[in-house]
Amino acid sequence: MNTPKQSSGFVRTALWFTIPSLLLVLSVWWSTSASVESGVVRFVNAMLTSFTLVSFMLLVTLFAYGDARRRPIAPLAGMIFLVLAGVALTMFFLSQGDLLMEENASVRAQFLSNIVRFATTSAALVVATVVVGGTLLASLLNTPPRAIVFEEE
Amino acid sequence: MEEATQAFVFFWCAGLLFLTGSLLSFFSKGALQRKIGMGFVVVGLLSLLTTPWTASASPSSAFGHLLGSILGPSVLLGVGFYQIGFSGHVPVGRLSTSDRRIGVLMVVAGVVWFEAMHWWTLTPTYPDEVNRSWLIFWPTMLLFGFTLACGMYAVIGQIGDRRVREQRLMVVVALFLMALMVMGLTMDGPSLAKERFAAELLLAAADLFGVLVGAAMAVLFFAVVLYFYESTHVPVHLPAPTEEQLQHAERIIADNVLGGEEA
Repeated sequence: MNTPKQSSGFVRTALWFTIPSLLLVLSVWWSTSASVESGVVRFVNAMLTSFTLVSFMLLVTLFAYGDARRRPIAPLAGMIFLVLAGVALTMFFLSQGDLLMEENASVRAQFLSNIVRFATTSAALVVATVVVGGTLLASLLNTPPRAIVFEEE
Repeated sequence: MEEATQAFVFFWCAGLLFLTGSLLSFFSKGALQRKIGMGFVVVGLLSLLTTPWTASASPSSAFGHLLGSILGPSVLLGVGFYQIGFSGHVPVGRLSTSDRRIGVLMVVAGVVWFEAMHWWTLTPTYPDEVNRSWLIFWPTMLLFGFTLACGMYAVIGQIGDRRVREQRLMVVVALFLMALMVMGLTMDGPSLAKERFAAELLLAAADLFGVLVGAAMAVLFFAVVLYFYESTHVPVHLPAPTEEQLQHAERIIADNVLGGEEA
């Protein structure tokens, strides 16, 4: 069971993850007075694409899960349904006029462009993780082992 | 070959091969399956990297060009951090001090290379303007790196014990990445104006937030699907033991627990 101290620590960590970036982005937005519309379109496109593709990746991981569960069909069918729902939702929203269209002429072009953008974003996430995680790992592994000090009896 | 077919074979099929291969090599238990997965990854990656030549007419080939452009500095960073880390206080397989120096040089070279891609003439240009994928990659990398460094600062404070040095290091990384973003927002680069960088940074924020929300929703639904499947498997209820079975169990327990006096 979570203690109040653990909960406050979790909240503090979540705030550290979000607030600095949020402040930075808000200050950029405020100073440039860019339109919100393009950002919203990009957000929805990214969300739908990410949902569909991550569902697909999780669907593939179910084959490993199936090895330990006598290859059940039900969860596989559930995830296939989710992937299809993601594709259908994306296609539906993209075909609603200019609602989610960016600089692409057709629904198919926008759909494929979303996937390429997702791949680019994923590459950026991987490199950023290498930078931060690598720095942290290098520092942790270079810390001398600590001596255990026993108190005098 | 027709342009659309070229893009389908060399980009989309290669991408699918790369994705399937990485999942297969990561999750498979069998050595053969993992090897096949790695083969898929190598073939897929090579095909993606060569799309500027094999599917040059497709706009998607800009991603292949970006991959080729960032491969060098990314490998330098990854191997460099590995060299620094494993030349430290690790119990087995420790690398030498010269490996550590090489690692530091590799990391510095990787960072300088990335910086030169924004502030010098190494900006990925494809076909004759700044690569569209680079405009997405660079602000997203800076913003997510900054977010991660800030978050890790808190995580180390939360779970670490006497890890002040690591916390300070995370502050340095966050400030460095923030300085890069502020520089990009206030100064024109040789191939990227500050206004364009600001617009791309805002779109990167929207992109990043969308990707994280979408991924979180997919994981949530995945958990729900598995929960419902597992909850349908209620363990079979056995009938209560009979008097005879209880007496049998009692005899066995008594024989093993009570023991006897040694002769």
